[in-house]
Amino acid sequence: MDIIHFSTEDEINLLVIVVDVNPLWWGQQAQREAEFTLSKCLDAVMVMGNSHMAMTRTNKLAVIASHCQDSHFLYPMKNWGSSDGATDDASCSGDGKYELLSVTNNVIAEEMRNIMLKTEIKGNSTATLLAGSLAKALCYIHRVSKELAVGQEMKSRILVVKASEDCALQYMNFMNVIFAAQKQNILIDACVLDSDSGLLQQACDITGGLYLKIPQKVALAQYLLWVFLPDTEQRSQLVLPPPAHVDYRAACFCHQNLIEIGYVCSVCLSIFCKFSPICSTCQ
Amino acid sequence: MDEEPERAKRWEGGYERTWEVLKEDESGSLRASVEEILYQAKRKRVMETHGQVRLGMMRHLYVVIDCSRSMEDQDLKPNRLSSTLKVLHPPPTFSTSKGVGIITTKNKRAEKLTELAGNPKKHVAALRKAVDTVCAGEPSLYNALSLAVHTLKHMPGHTSREVLIVLSSLTTCDPSNIYELIKTLKSLKVRVSVIGLSAEVRVCTVLTRETGGFYHVILDESHFKELLMLHVKPPPASASSECSLIRMGFPQHCVASLSDQDAKPSFSMSQLDGDSPGLSLSGYFCPQCHAKYTELPVECKVCGLTLVSAPHLARSFHHLFPLQAFTESPVEQHTDRSCQGCQGRLKDRSVFSCPSCFSSFCMDCDLFIHDSLHCCPCCIHGPSVS
Repeated sequence: MDIIHFSTEDEINLLVIVVDVNPLWWGQQAQREAEFTLSKCLDAVMVMGNSHMAMTRTNKLAVIASHCQDSHFLYPMKNWGSSDGATDDASCSGDGKYELLSVTNNVIAEEMRNIMLKTEIKGNSTATLLAGSLAKALCYIHRVSKELAVGQEMKSRILVVKASEDCALQYMNFMNVIFAAQKQNILIDACVLDSDSGLLQQACDITGGLYLKIPQKVALAQYLLWVFLPDTEQRSQLVLPPPAHVDYRAACFCHQNLIEIGYVCSVCLSIFCKFSPICSTCQ
Repeated sequence: MDEEPERAKRWEGGYERTWEVLKEDESGSLRASVEEILYQAKRKRVMETHGQVRLGMMRHLYVVIDCSRSMEDQDLKPNRLSSTLKVLHPPPTFSTSKGVGIITTKNKRAEKLTELAGNPKKHVAALRKAVDTVCAGEPSLYNALSLAVHTLKHMPGHTSREVLIVLSSLTTCDPSNIYELIKTLKSLKVRVSVIGLSAEVRVCTVLTRETGGFYHVILDESHFKELLMLHVKPPPASASSECSLIRMGFPQHCVASLSDQDAKPSFSMSQLDGDSPGLSLSGYFCPQCHAKYTELPVECKVCGLTLVSAPHLARSFHHLFPLQAFTESPVEQHTDRSCQGCQGRLKDRSVFSCPSCFSSFCMDCDLFIHDSLHCCPCCIHGPSVS
């Protein structure tokens, strides 16, 4: 049995990190616990991104910030297009760090600053719209897989760092995104900071990824590196947190209760807890 | 018989000046125009959303695979049979189906390979074993159809009954008049569709026309896959199918840990089929009779309740709320040269915009969104969602 697995030169591993930067939640968090703020969280994400790129030369990274109304790509930036070269002024970091890593960190920090300064906040919901960010991540992965050279294979996964609560209105879009990811064999991992998220538990269960709710937020970097850095082949040889118990019971449309036996309309697939001869959604 | 379809098949009629459709590009290759034709067909498919038509969401489908001598022909690599089995595996999620079954036909007989079942695992295993079958003799459409109808006629009225035939031979050997069988199929509301691998056969045209299905002949393997995807979409429900509420159970997955003193390992009901994993601590328990099962969806053998999990139903929602087609416009009208989905540069001739949020996407993203994602990435950023 080979203990060490060497990935071949032609295999590319793409990691897309989706960070929840909902300013309302992070603002409240800064008042609750001053040791763990958004900048510390981004530091941990940058460490994770750097480690991923340092593992193999062919590893790729993308980072998306998920705001309350929109998602933005923090890395890579749009105007790079097909050129892989770094901009001139960012290459002299002075401390001997691998150029690509220092450029990455600077770009992420700069874009984050831009987003925080320029985005206007409308409404006061603390729920983040993750489904949109995941959809954009899938489109990005799809584009990169089309641009591969002949003979190269690509494996991708998405890591979601979630802070705020679920938005219940997103259920259907979220499920569409999850099934699209499952069809493309893309894993969705979830690292949850505060409250458990049923949607992400289902996502991780269906796509085969890992779900973890962190007991101590200040140790985020440690959890990211120990649990989420290894890729799929290596995970089978590690002892990782056990899968969470996912509640797959459906909620009825009339009362929103979770039911074990229900009545499903054969035309519109709505679920009811009591039988009635006419379906109220479609008749 | 109508005169109209006949005229199109006359050699002079349907084949007038077909060379004008094809155009060569600089290197003399026709690939661009063939791709254009296929792309237009795909766009047309996306455009014709059914709107407010009721769809037959619960389907019972039999797939009939021709295993006659013509399947050993090597025009599809490595031979037609392996190519067919490769296209069918992984089984496209006929996600709205209550059950899919497989029938093979050869040597003038038909044989049921797998029964109607919701879980695709059995079908996958059977298809894998079927690669080694010897293709011999002639197929029999009559026998295959009567075998399928034998089971389908007992299915409840609110489900749709369908048969999909993959036929490669140009002949069929039937024990009696197939036109009588077609009349029977029509009266039982069974919809038959055919995918031909060699050429158009008149009896299949009549069969599909009378029962309301589709008949296509493939061009190559990728076209084969696309035609199969055509059948994944649920067909419009016939007006007389009843709409009713069906009782279903949503079992919980119970995992008893090894340290729990009361946990007892037990057999699951899939033991009765002979392919059991043995004793296990975890499983799904039927809410009505507490029989244990290892996988969903399944029909409980003890009490007859259909057991599903909520994601199985969610898989079919995109058929009920289809995504609108995006409007096409030339790339010069857009100043922002990047695609909002994948952040890449817009380098195609045309740009696709969502009619609700007006964000622009490149052609690859448009196809990906309509085939796999089924929701616009920019629209779902708004909190108001149906």
